[in-house]
Amino acid sequence: MLKVEHLAVHYGDIQALWDISFRVEDREIVSLIGSNGAGKTTILKTISGILRPSKGSVSIDGIRSDAIPAHRIVEMGVILIPEGRRLFRDMTVLENLEMGGFIDRARKLKDQNLKWISEIFPVLSERLRQIAGTLSGGEQQMVAIARGLMSDPKWLLVDELSLGLAPLIVKNIYDTLEEINRSKEMAILVVEQNVRLALKIANRGYVIENGRITTEGSGSDLLNNKEIKNAYLAMG
Amino acid sequence: MLHVAQILSYGILNGALYGLVALGLSLVFGVMNYLMVAHGGLIMLASYTTFWAFFYTRIDPFLFIVVVTPLFFVIGWILFKILFQSLMKFPEGEKIKNSLLISFGLLLIFSNLAILFWTADERAVTTVYTGKVVQVLGVRLPYIGLGGVALAIIVIIALHLFLTRTYFGKAIRAVSLDHEAATLMGINVNRVCLVAFSIGSALAGIPGVLTSLNAFNPAISFDLTNKALIVLILAGFGSIKGVLIGGLLLGAIEAGGVYLVGTPYREVFGLILFVLILMFRPQGLAGKKA
Repeated sequence: MLKVEHLAVHYGDIQALWDISFRVEDREIVSLIGSNGAGKTTILKTISGILRPSKGSVSIDGIRSDAIPAHRIVEMGVILIPEGRRLFRDMTVLENLEMGGFIDRARKLKDQNLKWISEIFPVLSERLRQIAGTLSGGEQQMVAIARGLMSDPKWLLVDELSLGLAPLIVKNIYDTLEEINRSKEMAILVVEQNVRLALKIANRGYVIENGRITTEGSGSDLLNNKEIKNAYLAMG
Repeated sequence: MLHVAQILSYGILNGALYGLVALGLSLVFGVMNYLMVAHGGLIMLASYTTFWAFFYTRIDPFLFIVVVTPLFFVIGWILFKILFQSLMKFPEGEKIKNSLLISFGLLLIFSNLAILFWTADERAVTTVYTGKVVQVLGVRLPYIGLGGVALAIIVIIALHLFLTRTYFGKAIRAVSLDHEAATLMGINVNRVCLVAFSIGSALAGIPGVLTSLNAFNPAISFDLTNKALIVLILAGFGSIKGVLIGGLLLGAIEAGGVYLVGTPYREVFGLILFVLILMFRPQGLAGKKA
C-alpha cells in the first residue's frame, strides 16, 4: 500500500499542500482530480522524492520514504511518468527504454520487459532505433509510459498524460493502462485534468482544491456527484 | 604548393591536439553545465607529471598515459567533492557563473604553484624520436604529431563507445539531457556528475602527455584553456562529436593565418574566429539552435 499522511509541502515560503492524506491499495487505480494549480503534480513529485514534505509522511509498503533520495524511490517500486513526458529527446527510443530500466533489478528483466512492451505498444517496436524527439506526441507518450514500465514498478504514477494529445489517442492509452492494471496487477495513481476519463477508470478518486482534499469516494460516486458535475464536467 | 601542404598538415596535427584539449571541458560542460576553465591548468600539471616521471624513469612518455589518466581521474574526483559538488543544486545559469569563478581561481592557483615549484622556465621531454619526421609526398610529418592524431582518434572513439554502448555512459547522456527525468528513472545524478567530472579531468592527462613532448611552461595552462574554449564554441557546447572537427578546424585556420600573416599572429586568428562565431552562429558550427 502507498500511503500519504497529513502531507504539507512548501515551495520556499509558499505553501502548496495542506494536510493531504490518502492511500493507494495494491492493484487499485486511484485518480486525483482538480483544477490547474490545485497541487496534484506537487503530490506526485513529493511521493517520488523530487520534493520534500515540510510535514507529514509518505510510506511505501509500510516503509517511510519521504527522506529517501529520489533515485532510490524507483528501487522501492514507485515510478513517475512525468507531465510533459520528459523523454531524453536526443537519445533513441531503445536508449530511453534502457534508461527506464536502469536500476539493477530492472536490468535483469530487460529482454522480458522489452518483449512485453512491444506487445502493448506494437508501434514502438518498429521505432526502437529512432530518436525519441522525432516521434509524434502520442508515440512519445507511449515511450514515456513504456520507459516507466521498464523499471518493473509496483506503483505507476501518471501525471497529465492527456496533455496536448488527440482524444482518441488518449482513450487508447488509458485503455492500455487499464489493461496493464489488470494483467500485471500494477497499482496506478492517475493525475488528470480530463476528469471524466480519470474517474471512469478509477476505483477511487480524490478531489483536490487549493492544496487540500475536499471530496473522496469511488470513481462512479464522484462521477455522479452533483458538485463535481457542476465544477468539472460542465453539465449542471 | 608544397609549402601550403606543409603548413596545413602542421595545422591538422596541432588541431588533433586541440580536439583532445577540449574534450574533457566539453564533456563536463555538456553533462552538468560547469564551465571548467581550470582544464588547461590540469593539462599543464599533467605535462609536469609526465616530465618528472620521464626524468626519473626514462620510460617512453606515451606509456605514462596509463598512469597519468587514472591519477587525474582521482584529482578530478577530489576537486568535485571539495569545490564543485555544492554547485549541483543551483539553476543552470548560476552553475555556469559559479563554476567559472571557482575554476578560474583554480587556474590561477595551478599556474602559480607550478611557477613556485618548477619555475617559469621552458621544459620539454626529449625522447629518441623528438624531432624525427616521416616524409609523405615531400610533406614532413613529425612522429610526435602523428602520435597525437592517432591518440585523438582513439580517445574520441573510445569515449563515444563508452557513451553509447554502456549503461553508465548512456546514463551520463541522459543526465546531460534532463537531470530531473534521469533522477525519476532511478539514476543517481550526483554520482553520474561526479564520475563525468572525474572522466573530464582524466581526459586532461592525455593532451598533458602530448604537450610535455614540446616546449611547455606553467603559462600554457591559459593558452590551452583558450584553445579549448574556441574549440567548444566551434563544436557547439557539449557536443563530443564536434570536438575533433572543431579542433582540426582551429588548427587549420591557425595554420592558414601563419601562412598569410606570420607566426606572431597565430593566436589572433583563433580569437577572431571565436568572436565571429559568437556573433553570427552562437550555437556552434555543428550545434543545433537551442
